[in-house]
Amino acid sequence: MKTEFQNLMEKPKRADSYDGTGEMVFGLMALGYGLLGYVQVALPKNSIWRQGSYGKLLFFAGVLLMLGLMIGVTKVIKKRITWPRTGYVKYRNPGRKFWWWTWMVGVAIFSAVIAAGVAFLMRFDRRHDWISLVWMANQPIYVACYAYWIYRMERDHPWKWLVLLFMALGLLAIALIAPAGLVGLGQLMLLFVGIVWFGSGGATLCLFIRHNQPPALEAE
Amino acid sequence: MNDQLRAISNLDRVIHEPGRLMIFALLGVVKECDFLYLLHETEMNKGNLSSHLAKLEEAGYVEIEKTYRGKVPQTLLRLTRAGRKAFDDYRKGLKAAF
Repeated sequence: MKTEFQNLMEKPKRADSYDGTGEMVFGLMALGYGLLGYVQVALPKNSIWRQGSYGKLLFFAGVLLMLGLMIGVTKVIKKRITWPRTGYVKYRNPGRKFWWWTWMVGVAIFSAVIAAGVAFLMRFDRRHDWISLVWMANQPIYVACYAYWIYRMERDHPWKWLVLLFMALGLLAIALIAPAGLVGLGQLMLLFVGIVWFGSGGATLCLFIRHNQPPALEAE
Repeated sequence: MNDQLRAISNLDRVIHEPGRLMIFALLGVVKECDFLYLLHETEMNKGNLSSHLAKLEEAGYVEIEKTYRGKVPQTLLRLTRAGRKAFDDYRKGLKAAF
């Protein structure tokens, strides 16, 4: 149980998500990767997106555009909307060392969870190929990560738990109703996740603007 | 006087005041922020916050920088090295006291 004082010290960390930019950025990332991945697997083989180095070049150009959008959107929202309303804050570098072994253990655990998920799904689902099953096994991880995000960062928005439920049910529905052998099933799921995150972040931004007006200028 | 009582009496009174303690709790975890941010998070009024900040600046715990964001005046605030050390000592003292 955290004290009021500890909660107060955690406020600056949560302040970064008051305006929904965090979710919008993750949403844009999922939308970008989903869309780029989808065109690479679903378009006809003679399409430019699937032609060796051209396809790769286009993919990296898309990734760069997406990164630019993510950084640009965040900067504009922070500068024009967030800081004039709730103030400017710059975070400290945590100064923690990056441990390669922690990273390796994380990747190993993640891979083991995915492999276990795929093995589990293979016993029940014979309609999809293993690549689609790998994508499906990823989905509970997105849901778990989002649940953790809501628990840590979105305490002022309990309605986010409904968004999480909608996302989990939506992913389940896509997995169940997708026709057998559908190409790009995983990418479609990622697009859905991106739309949900971007929409949820957008709703947070609208609520933020509605509830926080910039104060009148006077001496400080 | 036993150790616990001594630890309480040795607490830094500049930090110990609840309003200033809130300011320290927020400034302690960020690199810098502006006046509006503290106003929003502490829910104090401008006069109160200004007077607390003036006391902290006088004690050498907080650095106040008047600047502009575009054409809008902005007051940037950050803890000084002495301020961070005083806050660490205060937290250690409080733990020792309880």
